[in-house]
Amino acid sequence: MRSKTTNRRIGKVIIYIFLVILALIMLIPFVWMITASLKLNKDIFVIPYAWVGFEPRWQNYIDIWTKIPLARYALNTVKLTLIVTLLQILTSSFAAYAFAKLQFKGRNILFLAYIATIAVPWQVYMVPQFIFMRKLGLADTHLAIIILQAFSAFGVFLMRQFYEGIPDSLCEAARIDGMSEYKIYAKIMLPLSKPALSTLVIFTFVNTWNDFLGPLIYLTTDSKKTLQIGIKMFISQYSAEYGLIMAASVLSLIPVLIVFMALQKYFVAGITTGAVKG
Amino acid sequence: MSNEASLTQAQRTKGMSARERKRALVAYSFIAPNFIGFAVFTLGPIILAFIMAFTEWDGSNPMKFVGIGNFSSLFADDRFLAALKNTIVYSLFTVPLTLVAALGLAILLNQKIKGRTFFRTVAFFPYVASLVAVAAVWNMLFTPSKGGLMNQLLMNVFHTEPLKWAAAPNTVMLTIILFSIWKNMGYYMVIYLAGLQGISEDLYEAASLDGANSWQKFWYVTLPQLKPTTFFVTVMLTISCFKIYDIVYMLAGGSNGVVNKSAIVLVYYIYEEAFRNWKLGSASAAALVLFAIVLVITLIQFRGEKNYAND
Amino acid sequence: MKKKVISTLLAVSMIAATLTACGSSAAPATEAPAAEAPAAEAPAAEAPAAEAPAAEAADEPVTLKWALWDKDATVYYQPLIDGYTAAHPNVTIEMVDLGSTDYQTVLGTQLSGSDASFDVVTIKDVPGLVTLANKGVLEPLDSLIAQDGIDLSVYSGITDQIKVNDTLYELPFRRDIWVLFYNKDVFDKAGVDYPTNDMTWEEYDELARKITDTTPGSEVYGAHYHTWRSTIQLLGILDGKNTIVDGTYDFTKPYYEMVLAQQKDGVCMDYATLKTQGLHYSAAFYQGNVGMMNMGSWFIPTLIAKVKDGEAAAAANWGIVKYPHAAGVAPGSTLATITALAIPTSAPNKDAAWDFVKFVSGAEGAEIMAGTGNTPAMSNDAINAKIAEMDGFPTDANSKDALTAAAAYLEMPANEKSSEIETVLNEQHDNIMNEVSSVDDAIAAMNEGVQDIIGQ
Repeated sequence: MRSKTTNRRIGKVIIYIFLVILALIMLIPFVWMITASLKLNKDIFVIPYAWVGFEPRWQNYIDIWTKIPLARYALNTVKLTLIVTLLQILTSSFAAYAFAKLQFKGRNILFLAYIATIAVPWQVYMVPQFIFMRKLGLADTHLAIIILQAFSAFGVFLMRQFYEGIPDSLCEAARIDGMSEYKIYAKIMLPLSKPALSTLVIFTFVNTWNDFLGPLIYLTTDSKKTLQIGIKMFISQYSAEYGLIMAASVLSLIPVLIVFMALQKYFVAGITTGAVKG
Repeated sequence: MSNEASLTQAQRTKGMSARERKRALVAYSFIAPNFIGFAVFTLGPIILAFIMAFTEWDGSNPMKFVGIGNFSSLFADDRFLAALKNTIVYSLFTVPLTLVAALGLAILLNQKIKGRTFFRTVAFFPYVASLVAVAAVWNMLFTPSKGGLMNQLLMNVFHTEPLKWAAAPNTVMLTIILFSIWKNMGYYMVIYLAGLQGISEDLYEAASLDGANSWQKFWYVTLPQLKPTTFFVTVMLTISCFKIYDIVYMLAGGSNGVVNKSAIVLVYYIYEEAFRNWKLGSASAAALVLFAIVLVITLIQFRGEKNYAND
Repeated sequence: MKKKVISTLLAVSMIAATLTACGSSAAPATEAPAAEAPAAEAPAAEAPAAEAPAAEAADEPVTLKWALWDKDATVYYQPLIDGYTAAHPNVTIEMVDLGSTDYQTVLGTQLSGSDASFDVVTIKDVPGLVTLANKGVLEPLDSLIAQDGIDLSVYSGITDQIKVNDTLYELPFRRDIWVLFYNKDVFDKAGVDYPTNDMTWEEYDELARKITDTTPGSEVYGAHYHTWRSTIQLLGILDGKNTIVDGTYDFTKPYYEMVLAQQKDGVCMDYATLKTQGLHYSAAFYQGNVGMMNMGSWFIPTLIAKVKDGEAAAAANWGIVKYPHAAGVAPGSTLATITALAIPTSAPNKDAAWDFVKFVSGAEGAEIMAGTGNTPAMSNDAINAKIAEMDGFPTDANSKDALTAAAAYLEMPANEKSSEIETVLNEQHDNIMNEVSSVDDAIAAMNEGVQDIIGQ
């Protein structure tokens, strides 16, 4: 008995040491970003890199607001990200329910068509898509970015896989009780899929937030541009202001980390909450 | 229910098909909101891109149909063949290694340990951090000179020759593989974490009652229950490996943005063809090759998943 | 079995439905250029006729959309616009910033199809010009030039090097030449004389070695080469005997050997490290431990600004001299890059756009460019004097003289296969500098690769 607890303790210690080392490796880029954001451009890429003992240059964090309209860009990005995430969550979880829990003809083929398109690199259909969107008068509009991002196959695929893991017996039982499919989706599936929904929110949020090429191609009016385009503006033809880039990147990372940490709490077992037993 | 029981055979079949039709309509109503947007704005252009693969088009002049001409010139192009080979080698190593690393991390961070949220966030970090920063740190560790940390390690601990990492054709792919595992494992860990939450505690309790040890529980409960998640992760990983682009550009392109034959990958080739040479037909043909490979792999995995569902 | 057939049919019909749905909307997009193509040629021929009414209606308000990059970081856009609109109050010019990093990609996409709305587009480099010209989206300028009697000789031969299929599609307004930047403090410290406007490459090499210090921790690098192929490979074309698109590259050998020897002896930084580390040439020069660096004249305004704000304090005492030359060749030959303006075929206001292009690329534009410290495409002594007068420009006579080039060769002349040739040359440059291939093997690979491309 006693040796078992000591064993367990040793195991725990080993796990912690491993985790701490891992965390360090993962954190170095973050530390690099912060230190670089406090340096003059010329001191960033020199060897050896100065991790400590340099005079922090807070000016970078002031300059980014004046050199580009960062606040405007941030606002645009927030708007786009929120709308896209909301639409993505609604439409994909809805469609995924049909793919996972309903029987209908052509289900597998349609589903495969969905997945397969994820494999097509955007670079090849970007030009026809752009011409098409412009014909619809959507060039240089936020709506174009929303449309591009909100109806992706990715979300459907992700949600469908999680629904697959929920026992069919739950839905069958509800059907026998006379629940409509819409009600089953809303009352049973959605509450059960909080971890999956959180995952989808995180991924959609991160993708839309960090999207660069899409807004770059579509948005040409200054007042409509996004944060990532703004950050790239510090890279000009003949010079690149990495101190400013990192300062803006550090700031732009904060919302992403907040969303990630806030949704953490849903990564707890959801399915045992009496559902199966009931 | 009792009414139905009294129906004749013919009526019953008719009733069934009507019910089936209604069920299908319900299903389509679920799919429609996403599918319509997807079909018009994504699927349409994609199908057009596939048609483009058989044409010569620069985005402006009229399309010219050339049959399989694009494909035959692709397979005669050294750079394309190199890209194809590099992409396959890269995926062959990166997919399984990332999968195992992500699953391991997820299981580790699913346990009740102190600072779990912190560790989870940290693991996800390289995925969201600016690629410039991540690559800069990586290049610092894997710098080709003798002063780099990895080279110091090789020379002093393993007593081997220092490597040139991303600067040499024989190690550049290795460097890219290691980098992408490190950068992306946190992403797939998140998916596995969510997947792990869907496994019923009852199953573990039952296994415990049967006297299963932790290893057996992992093997007979966790893994099979995670099968839909694993299918998703494998497919997405395969696709994203075949679509790798920015990491290569960052690590092997350097400040002059030149990616050599030793590191070129399919999407980089596609990018070059599409936007440097404006050969959209040729770029689409290359994409179609990529698509075919991924489709075959996905179909095989889909089969595997269905077999599991039937078991 | 039957079920499977039905489900397949259903899926196919769904895909077909979407195909037609988008086909109908996408079809005009692809057909449109076909209809447009003959029309696009017409305005060029009709241009003289169209010109007269446009001149009469000069007071009608016009808005020109100008595609460019680095709107806020570039000092001359606004002065150019102000200069033009002062004389043409009816014209408004709207700058559209497409970003510097992916400019060609974005511009190419924007100009695809038939209903793009730019009146004037800036062309970043020659491969970019060639691809756009081949796409047929740029207006040929020859007839306009002939009609307005524009003298192309002021561009010192550059316009001959940017013809695509014997047609001129752009007019340059900015021309940067390559010079040798040096840090006077490094030379003073080593007690070595400054470089001059008349040096051979051998003398340059010797000089670089003299000021080099390889003591670990306090290294001084005699020379610095940025990772671009142009910093080394193109030194070979300056004797005027070869071009970079000929298909034989044996003439690059002495220059590669010189730099490789310097790299081995610690005279310059290691290419592999520079490339993976991503060290920008400006950052390298600002460190204060680089003696000489070959770079384009675009670095002059940046350097002046950074010396002023203190970031380049360690390189505050700088100067420039002309490029060294091969033995037996007159000094003053150098490389050049140009930035030019073009008019898309889809431009809504072609006549007004052409008038603006003439202004920017012409004498008035050149004057404004020089006033901002940038080198205009139209180069003469008065303009060079204006640049040298700028506050922060080195005061020595050699630096001022260095702005005059006896001959300027484009880094990449217009060629049908520019971008493909560039890919081969870049790859082999990388192989040589990483010491992956020997110089001879890499040159053989260049010859073979480029000849293959030309032969296609």
